[in-house]
Amino acid sequence: MDRGPGFLPIGPALSFVRHVREGMEAGRDPLSALAGAAGALPSDLQTVLDRAIARFRGEYHEDEWGFDEEFTETVLPFFDLLYDRWWRVETTGARNVPSHGRALLVANHAGILPWDATMMSVGLLREAPLPRYPRFLVLNWAFTLPYISAFLPKVGGVVASPYNAMRLLEQDELVAVFPEGVKGAGKDFKDRYRLQRFGRGGFVEMALHTGSPIVPVAIVGSEEIYPKIGSSDTLARAMGAPYFPITPTFPLLGPLGMVPLPSKWRIEYCEPIDLSGYGPDAAEDRTLVFELSERVRDTIQAKVYENLVARGSAFI
Amino acid sequence: MGRRILITGVGSHMGTELARRLCAASDVEYVAGLDTRPPRATIEGLDFIDADIRNPLIGKLIPAAEVDTVVHNQIVRQPGPGLSPQQMHDINVIGSLQLLAACEKSGSLRAIVIRGSAGIYGSEPNAPQFFTEEMARLYPLRTRFQRDIGEIENYFETFSRRHPRVTCTMLRYQPAIGPALDTQVVRYLSQALVPTYLGFDPRLQFVHESDGLDALVAAARNPVRGAVNVAAEGTIGLTRMLRLAGKMTLPLAPQLFVPVVNAGRRAGMSKISPDFRRLLRYGRCVDTSRLSDELGAAPKYTTEKAVCDWIATNSGRRLAPSVREMVTPS
Repeated sequence: MDRGPGFLPIGPALSFVRHVREGMEAGRDPLSALAGAAGALPSDLQTVLDRAIARFRGEYHEDEWGFDEEFTETVLPFFDLLYDRWWRVETTGARNVPSHGRALLVANHAGILPWDATMMSVGLLREAPLPRYPRFLVLNWAFTLPYISAFLPKVGGVVASPYNAMRLLEQDELVAVFPEGVKGAGKDFKDRYRLQRFGRGGFVEMALHTGSPIVPVAIVGSEEIYPKIGSSDTLARAMGAPYFPITPTFPLLGPLGMVPLPSKWRIEYCEPIDLSGYGPDAAEDRTLVFELSERVRDTIQAKVYENLVARGSAFI
Repeated sequence: MGRRILITGVGSHMGTELARRLCAASDVEYVAGLDTRPPRATIEGLDFIDADIRNPLIGKLIPAAEVDTVVHNQIVRQPGPGLSPQQMHDINVIGSLQLLAACEKSGSLRAIVIRGSAGIYGSEPNAPQFFTEEMARLYPLRTRFQRDIGEIENYFETFSRRHPRVTCTMLRYQPAIGPALDTQVVRYLSQALVPTYLGFDPRLQFVHESDGLDALVAAARNPVRGAVNVAAEGTIGLTRMLRLAGKMTLPLAPQLFVPVVNAGRRAGMSKISPDFRRLLRYGRCVDTSRLSDELGAAPKYTTEKAVCDWIATNSGRRLAPSVREMVTPS
């Protein structure tokens, strides 16, 4: 097959368009016409097109939570780029994450948008000996928004509800939680790397109930991506949002202000804490729950400081 | 002595099929069907009682029938053709109230089965993905139908508390789908151009008509106490469902959805109730472990298979608007 000048496969492209037209003229529907014409393309393009058409026919798999592995793989290169080039993430201790069976990842939360959750997932997929997709609990408000509410479940996000977390753990999934919640994501720049209160220890109850080990995760770098210097209650109320952040670039530069700053990141997965010895009834024991919750929080705080020192300068 | 069973709403598809199955069972001695509409088919052995459930007269009819089980199948799920929201409310709430009052007077009664709705859970953006039976009161009841169902559940709970000897089963149905049905979801899928909410892809869950019937038969034959969710296993995304059905979609911004759908009704778009609108935006799924473990009616179709079964039997066929809808546009 003749190739056009340079790298552009003009010959195949023209022949592809001709095949589509012929297919349509022969009375076929647009999708089958496209599929029929795919033969004129080079084989890698052909595979991509075949998959795209199959997706448009609904031939893809989503689990009961809406997680779509194929879709996640498709968007992964973009997050890979952020991981390697933008934030230059260094991941340590990925071996501490169980490669099968239920487990609860507990991490510190910062940076307004859940970039820390995505980087944590990418880190696991690349560094763990047996990569697996974690499911993460996302702030409820996100699920009232168009597009975002459709996108999140596809890559493994679920509504932050203990019922969801327990069901996922019972299905032997890897679940990521950020017990600081809004308090962590929306804290001011001056409070960076100071862990907020860990809710009421609900994540410990979930782990005790289901007998899942807890893997504390310390993330350094997420605090600098959007240095929050203030917030507007009026705008937050108008949007129904939990808070409306003001950073040096947002809302000053509009959507451009949502581009995160290229800080340097470190993610450390700590030694898992095995809770199976306590039994499911221990979840009722408030003292134990608070004790364990504090223990996890202290571990993460200590590791955050360690990695902060190891990282050195925030941006270079 | 064999079982004696009374079915309300026997003129519906589900009611008629239930009557047929029960009449064929060897341990059932007597089956009565109560409705203003006759059954869809002639069923040998069925005693059809032509009465309105809203009429206090049923307070005499039901004790006289000396039944041991009442299956309440007359709950209207959609303000359908020729049925105003007010009439729907009357049938659902006043009808259920009359029925339960009649059951109080019936000394022979041992079990009540109500075919209710999972609409009691609502459709909420930040709800748990799978509702279990205990989560009925997590959110405010937002639509008229939800409030109706809430009232029915209240009457039902009061009744079961006051009559501990009667086993009361509340079946909470997800929307049913199947080749023989004419439900709201079936009408929605049958349109040439399907309106959706722009930027939303809700997780939906249905129950196949045959599994829905199996659950009703199982509950009538050996009732369990309390609420049981009736739905197929698994869920399906709206986008994927419409793609599988090969439908063209019309994504609409939330503010435009109601005006456009109303305007589109002249062009053959089907009516979409407030409950169904919320379902199309936020979705709703339920946990079905009680259905298989306690009621013993494990569904044969998953949600995906139920949808594919409907697509396979209906591809290309459009439901014609019924005669009554053409005569009396509501």
